[in-house]
Amino acid sequence: MSIITEIIETLKKTPPARLLTFLALTGALFIFPQVVDSPYALHIMILVFLSVIMGGSWNILGGYTGQYSVGHAAYFGSGAYATMMLMQFREIPPWFGMLAGVAAAIAAGLIIGSICFRLRGPYFVLASIAATEIMRLSALNLKDLTNGAEGILATEIPPLSIGSALITDFSTKAPFYYIGLVFALAIIGVTWLVQHSKLGYCFQAIREDQDASHSLGINPGMYKQLSLTISAAFTSLAGSFYAVYIGFIDPTTVLSLDMSVQIVLICIIGGIGTIFGPVVGALVLVPLSEALRSNLITQTLISAGLVSEESPVGQFLKENLAHAHVLIYGILVVVVILFMPEGVLGFLRKRLAERRSKTA
Amino acid sequence: MNTILELRHVSKFFGGLAANSDISFALEKGMIKGLIGPNGAGKTTLFNCMTGYYPPSRGEILFKGTSITGLRPDRVCRLGMARTWQKVRPLVKMTVLDNVMVGALCRVNSLVKAREIAMEQLEVVGMAGKARVIAGGLPIGERKKLEVARVLATKPELLLLDEVMGGLNPAESEEIIRLILEIKSRGITQMVIEHDMKTIMRISDRIVVLNSGEKLAEGAPAEIVANQEVVDAYLGESNA
Amino acid sequence: MDSSSLQPLLLFLQSLISGILVGGVYALIGIGLTIIFGVMRIINFAHGDIMMIGMYLTYNLFTLAGIDPFLSIVVCIPLMFLFGGLLQKVFINRVLNALPQNQILLTIGLGLIMSNTMMLIYTSDYKILTTEYSSGSFSLMGLSISQPLAISFVITAVITALLYWFLMKTDMGQAIRATAQDRQAAQLMGINVKRMSIIAFGLGAALAGTAGALIAPTYYIFPQIGSSFTLKAFVITVLGGMGSVIGATLGGILIGIAESLGAVYISSGWKEVLVYVIFLLALLFKPSGLLGKSRM
Repeated sequence: MSIITEIIETLKKTPPARLLTFLALTGALFIFPQVVDSPYALHIMILVFLSVIMGGSWNILGGYTGQYSVGHAAYFGSGAYATMMLMQFREIPPWFGMLAGVAAAIAAGLIIGSICFRLRGPYFVLASIAATEIMRLSALNLKDLTNGAEGILATEIPPLSIGSALITDFSTKAPFYYIGLVFALAIIGVTWLVQHSKLGYCFQAIREDQDASHSLGINPGMYKQLSLTISAAFTSLAGSFYAVYIGFIDPTTVLSLDMSVQIVLICIIGGIGTIFGPVVGALVLVPLSEALRSNLITQTLISAGLVSEESPVGQFLKENLAHAHVLIYGILVVVVILFMPEGVLGFLRKRLAERRSKTA
Repeated sequence: MNTILELRHVSKFFGGLAANSDISFALEKGMIKGLIGPNGAGKTTLFNCMTGYYPPSRGEILFKGTSITGLRPDRVCRLGMARTWQKVRPLVKMTVLDNVMVGALCRVNSLVKAREIAMEQLEVVGMAGKARVIAGGLPIGERKKLEVARVLATKPELLLLDEVMGGLNPAESEEIIRLILEIKSRGITQMVIEHDMKTIMRISDRIVVLNSGEKLAEGAPAEIVANQEVVDAYLGESNA
Repeated sequence: MDSSSLQPLLLFLQSLISGILVGGVYALIGIGLTIIFGVMRIINFAHGDIMMIGMYLTYNLFTLAGIDPFLSIVVCIPLMFLFGGLLQKVFINRVLNALPQNQILLTIGLGLIMSNTMMLIYTSDYKILTTEYSSGSFSLMGLSISQPLAISFVITAVITALLYWFLMKTDMGQAIRATAQDRQAAQLMGINVKRMSIIAFGLGAALAGTAGALIAPTYYIFPQIGSSFTLKAFVITVLGGMGSVIGATLGGILIGIAESLGAVYISSGWKEVLVYVIFLLALLFKPSGLLGKSRM
């Protein structure tokens, strides 16, 4: 298969420093849970992995193919609900439920794609939002199927065994960590494959100029749908993973516009259309979000003496900053769009290019 | 069979406006056919119908003997008919090489082969040195050449050039003319929309004249120039 | 309004009427959005949240100063106009030439900031603004008509008429329309297109805020109420044709009717789904609007 030989050739051409750094980091990530004992640290890493999967999958459709879906919660929710419904109502283990989730998400993608891909630019964005809202409202209304607004609570995850050997009973965070890591590496790998294949060229050509690409032999409908299929599948895996890890889902968390915006945000903060953009985005958003949630920022301000604990400002911050993470998302979106539309990576790249051309 | 393209009574209506009206002609393999007419005569509309950007309202288009009427643009390209755009459409964020590779990927699946084909075409148009430049940074003359290289990479048998010399200075136009003749020598049939009469006279084997959506005249360059109706249609248009 | 005791025809007429009345307010929101789009080609995703701010403004004027919501429009309009103008000058202006996707993301972000700031200040508790006429109704030909809805419809009609007069007959209104039709040509004619954009956004915000004031007596007030109205506003403007004031007016009333009939004949849970389905159908089959034009 010449595609495989081509991939190996491309890998060989990668600067060895980069390849080694990547392998070293990956190795370190695999060893991490054996070395670090804190469940909280594992929790943060799991959230980072989750964000990488979410942002990375959106990147395929939005970053590479230029189709800015702000309705990706549809696929996240498909995965989450399929997995939870099968696990809680039918006692089907989540590793099978996950596959059902992927199937559901791809089906949803085919339907949503056939509607939305006929539209361009802002109309596509609006249609993607409307389609997901229809899904959210349906989940709310079809109470017999989904428990409606009450949501679904996971009571217990079945242990994972192969044959008679028990692999894990999910009582610690470590299994989630490894699953998250593997999925995150998978989406990075898929993104790399896309970028270094004919698919990537066709996707990006459609992004740059759909009509010109059409006249060059690319069928936009087919490629856009393919891009969405890949994107939806991985977003669904993220949703399934989220559902089983967090243990509770409802339409307002997994099918909402807030979730769709969060998915987009991870990607645009880091830099869309790049392999590691979503990773950067995850590394910015997750710590920020956690710092808010755990009152870390408030505590720092207080211990730094900038704000007194008893003052009204102090009290206000203490009570409310924890809930303010969506507000921070909003502020981040505005700041990134206004000042760094290419994301952190794009911003850094431009700075480096400027510095290089100055010294050249 | 020597006829590569045949248009039979092609018409295109937009609402009540007849942009193309009952156009018929044929192209022989290997020839260069000029397509001329005053602004608004319907030349680009005809190209759009031929390549499937939109279907004609009436009539048939036969390519290599089979009907391609209403086929999608990507299918038409893969069958061997490709076009350039009046307003150049480079893939702005991608490099020159990547742009041409997109065209090459019409024919091959391997990136390595696509890169080879792309570099070949860049050599033909004389832009091999600019392979790594981002297309968005190119001046208009090079954008036009890039567009030609890109479309050549799709290995067309019939190439439609829509005002490929528009906006170019005389030196750049000479290069394009050299290119067109080079393409002809490789056996590729061409249909060229151009405003500059001298150029059209030089390169065309035969010329079709459109006016207000209708075919006004067809013939060898010398005949067309002597045709009073054609001259009248152009009255008021400056001859470059 | 006890629907079980009405004959089917009366029930239909009843829902139709209340749909038309609510539709008037929807029309206001839609007109604001369509003006913004017409002049700047920006799809303002924060529109519903601007309306929400208008609602809270009205609520505060009522609870703190005892001003009747319908009267407080006099204060609401200029304040919201200034707010909109400010938003345009500080934020929207910078993305007028950016990718449409980035423009939408920016307005989404602004909307998130607005709704979550209000949530921090007021919590997400539902607030209710009750006046003496909040649940009042009067009888017309055997049909029961809600008093606040009727009053707001009349006010909406007056405002729409004034707006139409402004756009058609005044110099500034014509300047705005010129900018919407062809920004470059308008600039060449000496129109200050930058100022027109600020005014257009201010107008849009004022209309949205007014709509908020008008429905404050009849809807629950909470920070997240904006998003469903934003989406509804989009359905209205797409149905009516992006940029068409008349289209938005008709679209608003149509959506009001669709929702009202939907709530009665399908169920209140599914009525919003109906609106979104109409939206998708409109985008697919009649993207330039039912009236077939996308201009002011």
